[in-house]
Amino acid sequence: MRVGPSQEEIRRSNLGALLRSVHLHGAMSRADLTTSLGLNRSTIGALTADLAAAGLVSEGVPREQRGRAGRPSLVVHPESEHVYVFAFAVEVDRIVAARVGLGGVVLDRHAAVRERGDRSAAQVVAPIADFVRQMQKAAPPGARLVGSAAAVSAMVRREDGFVRLGPELGWVDQPLGEALADVIISTGVDLFPATRLRAPAVPAQRHAPDDDLVDASLARRSATGATGTAGSGGGSGDDLLDGDGDLPEPGEPGTGSDATRPLVQVRNNADLAALAEHARGAAVGCDNVVYLYGDAGVGGGIIAAGRPVTGHGGYGGEVGHMVVNPAGKPCSCGSRGCWETEIGEHALLAAAGRNPSSGREGILTVVDAAGRGDASAQAAVRQVGDWLGFGVANLVNIFNPEMVIFGGTLREVYLASAAQVRSRLNRNALPACREHVRLRTPVLGEDAALLGAAELAFEPLFADPLDFA
Amino acid sequence: MTDTPLLEVRGLNKSFGPVQVLRDVDFSAYAGQVTALVGDNGAGKSTLVKCLGGIYSIDSGEYLFDGKPVSVHGPRDAAALGVDIVYQDLALCDNLDIVQNMFLGREIKSGIVLDDITMEQKAAETLASLSVRTVQSVRQHVSSLSGGQRQTVAIAKAVLWNNRLVVLDEPTAALGVAQTAQVLELVRRLADNGLAVVLISHNMNDVFAVADRIAALFLGQMCAQVSATDVTHSQIVELITSGRSGDLGLRQNGATA
Repeated sequence: MRVGPSQEEIRRSNLGALLRSVHLHGAMSRADLTTSLGLNRSTIGALTADLAAAGLVSEGVPREQRGRAGRPSLVVHPESEHVYVFAFAVEVDRIVAARVGLGGVVLDRHAAVRERGDRSAAQVVAPIADFVRQMQKAAPPGARLVGSAAAVSAMVRREDGFVRLGPELGWVDQPLGEALADVIISTGVDLFPATRLRAPAVPAQRHAPDDDLVDASLARRSATGATGTAGSGGGSGDDLLDGDGDLPEPGEPGTGSDATRPLVQVRNNADLAALAEHARGAAVGCDNVVYLYGDAGVGGGIIAAGRPVTGHGGYGGEVGHMVVNPAGKPCSCGSRGCWETEIGEHALLAAAGRNPSSGREGILTVVDAAGRGDASAQAAVRQVGDWLGFGVANLVNIFNPEMVIFGGTLREVYLASAAQVRSRLNRNALPACREHVRLRTPVLGEDAALLGAAELAFEPLFADPLDFA
Repeated sequence: MTDTPLLEVRGLNKSFGPVQVLRDVDFSAYAGQVTALVGDNGAGKSTLVKCLGGIYSIDSGEYLFDGKPVSVHGPRDAAALGVDIVYQDLALCDNLDIVQNMFLGREIKSGIVLDDITMEQKAAETLASLSVRTVQSVRQHVSSLSGGQRQTVAIAKAVLWNNRLVVLDEPTAALGVAQTAQVLELVRRLADNGLAVVLISHNMNDVFAVADRIAALFLGQMCAQVSATDVTHSQIVELITSGRSGDLGLRQNGATA
């Protein structure tokens, strides 16, 4: 039987909600916070004081009068310079690391070209060590690291960041989460807060939008055989601090209520890009979103009822492997006629008779040629647009989203073939499911997944802000 | 969806001498939506838009703004309502910079001198509110801008004056791929920011990429105004070329569906 939340739990949840508001919307006056959170003024005052004492926010007099009567309401600012996370992105062609401050401000960013070829996760993430050291050096004294997360274009196990399959990276069963944790530990960066994060034990926080990303399914560790990124038993997370960087033995079962999460949380890049667009991009205010990301493959990030849909192990949302054409081409996954064999970069380039591995540049050339009247390019774009529309119609029928976002090179493909996509959608999707769906392109650009990783890395802070004090 | 259109014309007629260009045209545009106006060459798109903008006087018909009947006798009346048209040729001065162009003829003054600082700030704010990142400096001369950047400046100029309805005439014509994508996203953002946008385009991909509603003109008659979630590419092409498509469009006797 579940009892009601205690006073302490309610307070913790309110603190998290207030901090999240300031994080997502930037500096807000106490009056605006009162309205948006639905708490009374004195509660907001007390919560703000607690957060300010913990060094997470600061308060100030508004710079300009807005012509309202009465004493101006104090403005609550996120302490962007002093509270930060590390966000990483491991993509097909590049590796990016960023220091992102509370409020989603990118304070520092480093990128390196990823060389193609057979390289293990540990080799690929090696440059990140330098980046972390540099970023740490650039951080002002007293600044606090509150979490780390990484985006990778692969299927990744949620609980420990173990990459099961990353066809474009050439990876099968690579322990990326562990490799990243090793790299960070090797830099000697002060990891204190990040290593003793506790999973939220509070049922009252079930409403948190990213709950299932946060609540890292720790109870399932033993069942799936953790590879030991930060796989310590209940409450013993401080083991990671024991200087020499040795990791605890893998496979110890967590208790689920008071266990550690991985040092670096790792997720699929499309899932994280969806999270970022939902938090501060094209899909702000939309709680049902399908985000499609296309490059060599096609990934998807799905947000339903405001929460990411990632499935049991974290592998969900692989829309690119939805079979649309059983008589189609073989797919890199071993199946036949997957959606990405019809709408991926290879499909468009092959249909237009171009070099199928010319990637993004090739796609732009084909779209440009189609715009200038090249018949074979136009036919190729139309064909891919038709297939794109088929798949979107299926997704719209299943999820009834408010918005479908076309990211990666699918942005160009969608804009060049919108007539086909819309027509297929209008013909094949159910009227009730499609009538309010908006088809949009992303706002955040190529760093969307990186920003999503930052959002994810901040989640533990919102679950219990004072734990970081 | 808003129930009252921001702008609505009913039974609009317009003749040039013996030639009747528009016959009983109904047209509406809603705030927060992109309404695409499509039709073949000579169907009357430009004439309709110029009637909306007060450049041509209408022979007969009702002009409603915000649900209230208004009379528009010239471009100033339309501008006072908050209706602006961005023409294909953009009407920008090459020898002036972005700020000067955006405030041309409506310069902000402080005393008897121009208030350059305020104008520069407002221009930069407007471009930022449209998430325009391609322009390096608002003091760049328009002659140094690319086609897409010019289009962006022309659109920003229309937005700067708190207009409520912006008509864009072929904004992506003669642009490259990357610039077309940027302008389309800008058009979409205008509507998502709450403006009513009327987009004239011959490119069906542009129309389907951004439009919420599609209005098709055929030989001076409005043959259909439909939601973009209800029609297909081939239906729109049929409406443009023959005035009807299945249940949509003009009936045999000329009435509209």
